[in-house]
Amino acid sequence: MENTPTVDQAAAAQEQISLSVLKKRWLKFKSIKRGYYAFIILITAYIISFFLPLLINNRALVVKYEGEIWFPVFQGYIAGSTFGEDVPGEANYRELKVKFKSEKGNWVIMPPYPYGPYEDVTTAGNKMYEEPGRGHWFGTDNTGRDVFSRLLYGFNISLSFAILFTIASYLIGVSIGAMMGYFGGKFDLITQRFIEIWATLPFLFVMIIISSIVRPNFFLLIVILTLFGWIGMTYYMRAEFYREKTKDYVAAAISMGQTHKKIIFKHILPNSLVPIITYFPFAVIGGIGSLVGLDFLGFGLPPPTPSWGQMVSVGLQNMVKWWMVLAPLGALFTTLLLIVFIGEAIREAFDPRVYSRLR
Amino acid sequence: MSDKQKLVDVKNLKVHFPLFGGVLSRRVATVKAVDGISFSIKRKETIGLVGESGCGKTTVGRALVAILRQLYPDVEIDGSITYNFNGKSVDFARLKPRELRKYRSKVQMIFQDPFASLNPRMTVAQIISEPLQLHTKMNDSEMKDRVGWLLDKVGLQPEQAYRYPHEFSGGQRQRVGIARALATNPDLIICDEPVSALDVSIQAQVINLMMDLQEEFGMSYLFIAHDLSVVEHIADRIAVMYLGNVVEFGESSTVYYDPRHPYSKALLSAVPRPDPHRQRESRIVLEGDVPTPLNKPSGCGFRTRCPLAEKSCAEEIPVLEEHALEHWVACPIVKEKNAG
Repeated sequence: MENTPTVDQAAAAQEQISLSVLKKRWLKFKSIKRGYYAFIILITAYIISFFLPLLINNRALVVKYEGEIWFPVFQGYIAGSTFGEDVPGEANYRELKVKFKSEKGNWVIMPPYPYGPYEDVTTAGNKMYEEPGRGHWFGTDNTGRDVFSRLLYGFNISLSFAILFTIASYLIGVSIGAMMGYFGGKFDLITQRFIEIWATLPFLFVMIIISSIVRPNFFLLIVILTLFGWIGMTYYMRAEFYREKTKDYVAAAISMGQTHKKIIFKHILPNSLVPIITYFPFAVIGGIGSLVGLDFLGFGLPPPTPSWGQMVSVGLQNMVKWWMVLAPLGALFTTLLLIVFIGEAIREAFDPRVYSRLR
Repeated sequence: MSDKQKLVDVKNLKVHFPLFGGVLSRRVATVKAVDGISFSIKRKETIGLVGESGCGKTTVGRALVAILRQLYPDVEIDGSITYNFNGKSVDFARLKPRELRKYRSKVQMIFQDPFASLNPRMTVAQIISEPLQLHTKMNDSEMKDRVGWLLDKVGLQPEQAYRYPHEFSGGQRQRVGIARALATNPDLIICDEPVSALDVSIQAQVINLMMDLQEEFGMSYLFIAHDLSVVEHIADRIAVMYLGNVVEFGESSTVYYDPRHPYSKALLSAVPRPDPHRQRESRIVLEGDVPTPLNKPSGCGFRTRCPLAEKSCAEEIPVLEEHALEHWVACPIVKEKNAG
């Protein structure tokens, strides 16, 4: 009896045979260690970066003052006078912590890294060009802001920006490319000519003109970049759809009366996912690159926002302060490297040849 | 035969594909894939459509399921295809897309290549239940039962419903394709070379399955093939096509054993017959290639290769004439010879 497989085992075996293609590719992706670990590290870091205000902040997590409990991280601005502190404007929680040590009943819990990305020399105790050390791990910059905290906040902004930009431009690019390939004929002809004209617009000049009229913010920048970024995907999707449309399963779907929308999204698109998925990481890299580039040139996010491009630009003006240059460049390098590893592993996972991997 | 028994009547069907070229995308030529053919299919009948590759067989099939317009937006279709569903005559070309969709369940198609006709990203259950979702109001458990029943009917196990097409052999996939076509109880199934991609041993299985299913459900088949021995086995009547025209049409045994048109004769003499005692007939070998449908010869399309060709053949396109009872041939020369 021992050798007789149970029903569960048979079901499990069945399931193993019937993995969908995507599941098989995911398993292959998991087997490519470098890419898989890079993926785990990046995703973990990205998720953690959403909780940065709890980890890296100049505002205290909890303050107990004269029997009352305050949560400055969530409550936002609280004047220093509330806690009996003699400072103009917002309370300085680091000093408050030192002060409360001698007072009974009052205490402050600070985040593990008690410096925020926005506080500069105007806050008491902050100095310009402080070298990396125990307080400021990566030193401070020309306005006395903490480089380490700006770096991490910048990571979240860069990655969110790049991912949103990629998703937005893929949504447009995939839909238009899919329609061009699926409907063909005059629609394809006219849209293709429009794309050719649109693609010749000089992106940087348009960007400079726009940012001289309106101060771009996070979402406006995504919109503008998307306006120019959706084109690349249409080429791939158009070709994919032209190819897939000639296959008989599409004819079968039409002959049973399926709608165009369902044929495009339910039948053909799942068979045309390869370029979308394999190019996604590299498009994210492109997105980070564009944001850094625009920030570097000064057409990107407005100044107090922690952005890597602006940090590199300020660092270049103060080359002697090596930490101001190395920190953002190192962060940029590491992030892009991780994403390249992921992209490479995805490309390999989608490669039908089994032994083509370079080791 | 009375009109009531006719399921579909094709009259003077023409399907032309324009070719565009040059800087201004002007129309430079026309591929006359189907050039004026007429035939009809009765209820519970199998029509065999045979011919060489490129003669327009598949295009006829696709015209009957009305999918040409969607696949090739530029196509020009002329003539009429009139269906007769329970006494109601329907012309797909005159329907609005929404109305057409309702009738699509009545005419289904089985495709030539079982590797391309099933969506590789869908399980067999999803593939077979798709027409059910579109044309019936079944709930999930009814649908599951129906899929299992259909799989059983085509000789597969219902447990295989949750596998993907790539886990099946060619013959099994073709069975899945048949189950999908069968799902909505169609009146007509277009079989576009359903066995030519399969092994000979499996061909016989699939053909017999199709004949059994016809016996049970009583639908009509339009059986497109280039293998005459297969068609003779399954079809009641055979139409022989050459270069977009039907050259001979008649009862299956008549066309098979007594072909009249010189092209049918040549085609049939090429069929290998596994009978060692039979006397070897002289094989008719045609000279040259099929002319391109881009630039068809004037008059009879076959005259460039025809052993009987005369001067008059170049003048007008021969029409199908009844040479014997229910045996139509498009060749005036043959008729003259038989008469004289």
